Amino acid sequence: MSDFLCHDFKTPRTDTSRRLPSSFRMVPVAFYVALIGGAYFMTTDMMNYKRYEREKLEAELQKDDYDLSIAKTESEKSGLDEETMKAEAIAKWVEGARNVQPIGVYVARALGLESRITELSLERSEQVPANLSFSMRLLGGKMEELAKIESSLSRLNYQSLSPQQNKEEEVIEYRSTLVRRDY
Amino acid sequence: MNPKQLACVVLMMLIGAVVYGAQMVHQRVVGMRMELENAQADAKAAKDSLDTAEIELAMTKTRTQDLRRFLEAWIPHIDRIQTQQEVEEAVEVSLRERGISLVISRKSEVRASRDDLVLPKQVLTSLVVEDEYAKVLNWLGDLERRLPLTRVNVCRFTGGSSGTQLRVDISFATPLVNLDANVKPGGKKA
Repeated sequence: MSDFLCHDFKTPRTDTSRRLPSSFRMVPVAFYVALIGGAYFMTTDMMNYKRYEREKLEAELQKDDYDLSIAKTESEKSGLDEETMKAEAIAKWVEGARNVQPIGVYVARALGLESRITELSLERSEQVPANLSFSMRLLGGKMEELAKIESSLSRLNYQSLSPQQNKEEEVIEYRSTLVRRDY
Repeated sequence: MNPKQLACVVLMMLIGAVVYGAQMVHQRVVGMRMELENAQADAKAAKDSLDTAEIELAMTKTRTQDLRRFLEAWIPHIDRIQTQQEVEEAVEVSLRERGISLVISRKSEVRASRDDLVLPKQVLTSLVVEDEYAKVLNWLGDLERRLPLTRVNVCRFTGGSSGTQLRVDISFATPLVNLDANVKPGGKKA
């Protein structure tokens, strides 16, 4: 190799490309910052994502539990309502099904020895079954005995409404509507 | 474009890609967070509904306590009388045990009611009996005790064939209760 050539080879060469502006030196720095920042944010985001996903699943499971409990509660309430409706139907019937035998007994007890019932009739009202239409024919009785009968019936919590009485010779006819009073 | 410029462009593209990727991930996280908030709101709403339902249940329990206790007390009587034969048998036993000797007439029939689900059938019984005054009244008391749901519609006492005799002409309805009826609140009449 000749000296000339060696010299020529060591001669400083002019740049083949133009230098970048100094601000472009920030590009690699920005790259590293973006890399580190991106890694940080993506890691935290992924961790948050997993946490949110887990919490969402928990919330959904909790909601399912609540829904199940609501269904159970509503079913129980529906059962109670049904039972109540049946009880109301029975109570309504029973209200109009009170015993009539005590009425006969109390009326008989209220009469004196000379009096005799020739006819006693009790008819239940169709519209208000708790009410009874009461009629009686009394032979040899006195008008005062009717007051005794009404008093006796009041002890059975019946009130005589619109009483009508008629006396022809020895026969007293008495009619009234017995209305149940619940105190 | 020289290699330095090319390297800068590549780096900037990589920065853009990283930022874009981070943004996409962040958007997904925000979306998931919204889903979580919705799920939590739904769970809270469900909890509130459950609380309301539990309060309503407790109120219904308290409000209907007496009626339900009433029904419970009647169930044995209701279960005992479920057919027309059982009603007739109760009447027969009552007449026999109370020693009513003269049964002038007896008739019973079943009347059905489509609208009433709890009391779908009634046994209508008509009886004319005659005996001593005390016996007849005691029998009537016994009959009403044996068939406590019985509703006496008409009861007419008249003098019997002799002075000590009493004749009673009675007609009564005994319901055949169906406690298994599917009664829905607001539905068909109970």
